[in-house]
Amino acid sequence: MLSVEGLSIRYGEVEAVRRVDLTVGRGEIVALVGANGAGKSSTLGAIAGLVPAASGKVFFDSGEITGLAPETIARRGISLVPEGRRIFASLSVADNLRLGGAAHLSPAAAKTQEEEMLQLFPILRRYYRSKGGNLSGGEQQMLAIARALMAKPRMLLLDEPSLGLAPQMIDTVFDLIAELRENGLTILLVEQNVALALEIADRATALANGEVALAGTAKELAASDLVRQAYLGA
Amino acid sequence: MVMQQIINAISLGGIYALLALGLAVVFSIVGLINFAHGELMTVSGYALLASLLFGLPFPAAVLVAIACGAFAALAMERVAFRPMRGASVTSLLLTSFAISSLLKVLFQNGVSARPQAVAMPDWMTGAFFIGDMTVGVGPVISITVSIVALIALQMFLRRTVTGTAMRAAAEDFNVVRLMGIPANRIIATAFVLSGLLAGLAAMLWIAQRASVDPLMGFTPVLKAFIAAVVGGLGSLPGAVAGGFLLGVIEVLLQATLPVGLAPYRDAMVLSGVIAVLLVRPEGLIPAVRSQHN
Repeated sequence: MLSVEGLSIRYGEVEAVRRVDLTVGRGEIVALVGANGAGKSSTLGAIAGLVPAASGKVFFDSGEITGLAPETIARRGISLVPEGRRIFASLSVADNLRLGGAAHLSPAAAKTQEEEMLQLFPILRRYYRSKGGNLSGGEQQMLAIARALMAKPRMLLLDEPSLGLAPQMIDTVFDLIAELRENGLTILLVEQNVALALEIADRATALANGEVALAGTAKELAASDLVRQAYLGA
Repeated sequence: MVMQQIINAISLGGIYALLALGLAVVFSIVGLINFAHGELMTVSGYALLASLLFGLPFPAAVLVAIACGAFAALAMERVAFRPMRGASVTSLLLTSFAISSLLKVLFQNGVSARPQAVAMPDWMTGAFFIGDMTVGVGPVISITVSIVALIALQMFLRRTVTGTAMRAAAEDFNVVRLMGIPANRIIATAFVLSGLLAGLAAMLWIAQRASVDPLMGFTPVLKAFIAAVVGGLGSLPGAVAGGFLLGVIEVLLQATLPVGLAPYRDAMVLSGVIAVLLVRPEGLIPAVRSQHN
């Protein structure tokens, strides 16, 4: 469904990502793991159109999307939940959700989709009129995911969904991710918490210093010496 | 007497508020202080003059003039600012100065450097008499128009999807784009709004002076810039608060300063601005911005 071929990203002189290959099949969860600064977020940014690629190509549904504007890529059916959630703090939960669907759905369809989101995330119904900035970190993460799902995307890019959350909230978020996959959504997950990511993913790619260090099924990665030593503390 | 001064203060403050809002709307989205904002006023002024000379009835001429302000703002964005998108703040600032100078020279050489009289309808110079109080029709219209415009803008920003997207873009533009909402549409809307506000302010400004000249936009927009900074740059409620505050202070000083001190009025106003910024460097009502901008 998504395929990244030989992607390189530069920030000035620094080559943050070097010739990364990556594929995500329909209905799969693929985890992109690695240490801080390994190039995971940059890779997601390039797929979503926020970061320009120095070279390489990105294909989505057999069409090339390299270099397209973020709004165009979003309209093709890819939604990114950015790192740090980046909900609109001064807007109400209702307005955050409304913007998520605005470019994709008719007002009637948006209302139906919103109702579905409020059922999936009951906490958002409780804070419907509150400003996004007044929500806790975990609630904001729920809102950020719900806002992305308002677009009825075919593929979800999740950037560090566990970052800064309380352990209990992390469980809730990851249960939800599993549930979304059950419903047929394709997911590319960037996560520093490697154990957690490998538990939920079908396949995984480990990045180190901007390059692919290892790729395979999640089980293979979890069993590999490299991953066990570098990330799982074994 | 006191009542009249209050009305004058609100009237002047309303014009500053409209102009400061125009600056703030664009700044909150693009991060640009558009110093050619004054020239949008000038364009509207000359459009009013031309429409009246062509024999358009006064209300129609006013509508045409305001529309010309909005169109000029849209054209400015398309021709000058869009090619500079992503450039440094300094480059954007210089671009806006260039447009400003260009338009001033065009009006000076194309029309005339001297002020041109605009025939205002007689009823606008009339006055109400309430008891022993005289209230000018002009200031009352000015106040009414400012308030209606502020409410309309607020409704647009709160109730419509585009307005909500603009509030969101002021916080985090990239995430708005991730929602599939085109950057160009948001930016173009911001400029159109600023043009409409400048056009409206020009009409109110001209109503009290009955003339237009190539430099007419400079002083009010300089004041509006000060108002926007005092209010909190990029904050819309701040721009309105700053505009009214500045109007009130100016009229207050005008009315109470002894003749000998009158020339120092602007210096005193600016000292007041410095005092406010020393206490509240972010302005009266600071803008909300995410750490990603």
